[in-house]
Amino acid sequence: MIIRERALRGVDFNFIGTAIILAMIGIVLIYSATWFSEPSLATVKRQIIWVAIGLGLLTLFVIVDYHVLFDVAPILYAIGIAFLIYLLVWGKVTANVNSWIHIGAFRFQPSEFMKVFTALMLARFFDSNDHAYLDFRSFMKAMAIIGFPVGLIIVQPDFGTAASFFPLIAVAMFFGGIRPRVWVAMILIVAIALPIGWAFFLKPYQKERIVIFLNPERDPLGDGYQVTQAKIAIGSGGIHGKGFRQSTQARLDFIPEHHTDFIFSVLGEEWGFIGVVIVLSLYLFLIIQAMTFAKHARDRGGTFLVICLISFVIFHVLINVAMQIGVLPTTGIPLPLISYGGSSTMMFLIAIGLMANVDMRRFVNA
Amino acid sequence: MRVYRDDQKFLQFRINALIWGIVAAFLFLAGSFWFVQGVQAEKYRGLSEANALREIEIPASRGLIRDRNGKMLADNEAAYSLSVDRMVLKPIVKRDPQHKAKMFQFLADVLSLPVAEVEARYDRGKVIPLAKPLAMAEELTMQQVAAIQSNSVLYPALNVLPVPRRNYPYGTMAAHVMGFIGEVNEKDLAQHPDLQQGDLIGKRGVELMYDNYLRGKDGAEYWEYDSHGRRLSEYVPARKQPLAGDNVYLTIDFELQRRAEQYFVENEMVGATVALDPRNGEVLAMASSPAYNPNVYSKRFTPDVYKTIQSNPFKIELNRAIQGLYSPGSVFKNVMAMAGLIDGAIDHQTTFHCTGSGVFSGRRFRCWKKEGHGDVDVQRALKVSCDIFFYNTGQRLGVDKIHDYAQRLTFGEISQVDLDGEKAGLVPSVAWARDKQKRKWYPSETISVAIGQGPLIVTPLQVANMTAAIANGGKVFRPHVVRFIEKKDAKSGKIQRLKVASKVLSEVKLAPPALEAVRRGLWKVVNEQGGTGGNARIEGLGVSGKTGTVQVIAQRGWVKSDSLPFKFRDHAWFAAYAPGEVGQIPSMVVVVFVEHGGHGGSDAAPLAKLLFESRFRDKDMSARLDLSNPETLEQIKEGDLPLPKSSR
Repeated sequence: MIIRERALRGVDFNFIGTAIILAMIGIVLIYSATWFSEPSLATVKRQIIWVAIGLGLLTLFVIVDYHVLFDVAPILYAIGIAFLIYLLVWGKVTANVNSWIHIGAFRFQPSEFMKVFTALMLARFFDSNDHAYLDFRSFMKAMAIIGFPVGLIIVQPDFGTAASFFPLIAVAMFFGGIRPRVWVAMILIVAIALPIGWAFFLKPYQKERIVIFLNPERDPLGDGYQVTQAKIAIGSGGIHGKGFRQSTQARLDFIPEHHTDFIFSVLGEEWGFIGVVIVLSLYLFLIIQAMTFAKHARDRGGTFLVICLISFVIFHVLINVAMQIGVLPTTGIPLPLISYGGSSTMMFLIAIGLMANVDMRRFVNA
Repeated sequence: MRVYRDDQKFLQFRINALIWGIVAAFLFLAGSFWFVQGVQAEKYRGLSEANALREIEIPASRGLIRDRNGKMLADNEAAYSLSVDRMVLKPIVKRDPQHKAKMFQFLADVLSLPVAEVEARYDRGKVIPLAKPLAMAEELTMQQVAAIQSNSVLYPALNVLPVPRRNYPYGTMAAHVMGFIGEVNEKDLAQHPDLQQGDLIGKRGVELMYDNYLRGKDGAEYWEYDSHGRRLSEYVPARKQPLAGDNVYLTIDFELQRRAEQYFVENEMVGATVALDPRNGEVLAMASSPAYNPNVYSKRFTPDVYKTIQSNPFKIELNRAIQGLYSPGSVFKNVMAMAGLIDGAIDHQTTFHCTGSGVFSGRRFRCWKKEGHGDVDVQRALKVSCDIFFYNTGQRLGVDKIHDYAQRLTFGEISQVDLDGEKAGLVPSVAWARDKQKRKWYPSETISVAIGQGPLIVTPLQVANMTAAIANGGKVFRPHVVRFIEKKDAKSGKIQRLKVASKVLSEVKLAPPALEAVRRGLWKVVNEQGGTGGNARIEGLGVSGKTGTVQVIAQRGWVKSDSLPFKFRDHAWFAAYAPGEVGQIPSMVVVVFVEHGGHGGSDAAPLAKLLFESRFRDKDMSARLDLSNPETLEQIKEGDLPLPKSSR
């Protein structure tokens, strides 16, 4: 019903290919980060499985017309919310955060998938709302769509993941259209809310992270340790890098989370500045390509869907890469397609699929 | 008031704006990475290496100490030592603040020590570099090793390692000569900038004096450690092999040393003995009793033992051979004889008449023999130790000349032996009385000095130097305890031996008849009926020597000191050389000093005989004098009774 031959020929293989290359680089880096401490290579093997499943999901989300997905978006959104509520009530504690759902041996983070579902829901909302500026009611509706899952994730509490929904708010405001006076009001609210939030709502570990961010090398064995060690790794890589499997910082466990949030430091250490530039270029290509999809999308819904999804990628890449060298504070935000993690990898592959989906169906008469 | 607008245009503009914003952000990030990886790469490369590689010191094997014939006197033994790796401990304590307390408790249990002691040992390490293992215990038993090893997962910072430990296989043997080692203190560190806190260094004796040769050079291994402090693999290209220290061969003869020490121990005597080779100044034996066990001293943790040692009333750390200062008593008559003969105050035929006492400088001085000796020349004066003869000689010489000749024989100044802490002693003179005592020197004091009493104090080694000068015809050698140093070239494996040179410090010129007179006198002391040193007689060897008995407290009249409490009993001297028959070249000098021992002839001479027999006769013969025969003893005691000191 959905597959049309002409449409399939319109799939942008450069775009999907770039994403697959990034996922492959991810696998190589995860291998570099774990082969020494884990000779069974279980982590790498799992990531290969995630990527394989993710590519399957990608294909599925390319094939199914995104208009169909708009139709079922409320159902997906509701399922995601249900999982988040379930987590709050029965969730097991993992790494101080109740963000995992266990189904047998399989476990996943519903908050990751919720990103896609929320993006779908938001795009669906903008599809039917084509005013130049959002009126107050529409704006509040859009905020509610984003705010509901974010609220549930914050109370988990998973500050980093909740923050990663921020690009959706930015998209809603930037592309949805907000009048200047509303901007002013928003900025005022934020200016007042920030200190209050700092004083009353931020948990001590969150405050600590921000403080340490300001001066990570103050206590190298303390909490600025991660960034200090990541910087040592990246800096010691130099221009050419130390070469495949030569990362001593990661191998010797000096960088915590070196196969997840700090995978980029392994890249910096083993492949040097050259490797860093290549990977950043691949991301930039992916982003610009997605932006082109957004411009040429058939309808407003498609445009917003691509923008929402790519905003996640942009946000994750910028935050994650910036925190490697201490430009931004350390948060638990993974590097899209490269960091180890089933839910995150699958989510981003789905997002890639959906963006290609929009691009493929850009011709009105397709 | 809804406004419809050109949707496409609106979005296009904002998307383009976003793209440029992102390109800018990426350029900014790439720039940041360039700064870290391009500009600061060297700094971070250094930090990365520092992170991954740790230097582990390989202690150099300390040089061996052997006796003159190669018998091992100090070697190195592998002992299990426990150390804490604080680089490993730090991250663990960071995660678990209770870990340190738990570890201390565990160590206290295993080592059977109070927790406070364990903590004190740990705190000592505050001055030791963090990367250096901090020694917590030495010489672990196998049970302790097993207990620590089996808990290594719980306490990964604890390391049990076989560490070379200084070992003195014969315990107290030659302890005062060899000295001992210990941890460096602030003073050592100031002198040796290459050392670190926690290193071991020679503290006394040869271990101290030849430390630069013995110590060697520590090597290092470079190991990769992960952030949990687990040791992974060694970076072999960086390894620095340790250079073993040079071996030191002493001039000490094991057999002589053993017999000398045994003599003191078996007879429960306090004192010292020195055996010298008069031809070159080599010290063949140097014993000081009581002795300490350097094995105890060379441990890191011996607080209780140390207290016991410190409180020992016999000052066992004192090397009495070079640090004990005593009145020489009658052995100083040798000096008087030589001084008088060289100076011309007397010649080898001069005789004085002894009636048992005489008036000198307006005071009456007694000879030790009430009945007197009649006419005595220098030979007989030495043989019977006649005081009157030497009172006359002393009076003719005057104290300043006595001082000058004594000084040439190393009295009153250090003889530069290659051991630490040698004492100079004192030979009085008019200038000394004036400058140091701020008083006038009384001529009657010279009479006391003439028989080795008065303010005169000497070490047994100085007496040996003097005796050696008689034996070799007037040369005073710089005595030394090290014969040669054996260096092994690390590359070629070639062995090079550096001999310690013989050095003549001074020379006293005696005319042949005068020298002959002194030697005959000393020969008669031992070998003629009526001599005071008959206990040292060995047929055919011509042992020649002089006895001496020094009263410790002033006595009136002729009193035997045997009945006095130990600390008031007389000191006994015997200074001899052999072989001493006409035409023989003397090759060993023996000086025996027994603190509160009684009499030179009966208590000191037998040891000299023992050593001469050991050296010149059958080495296997148990050359022990029969001290149980009261007749022999009585005869000798009569020969050298203490001389009552005139009250000043």
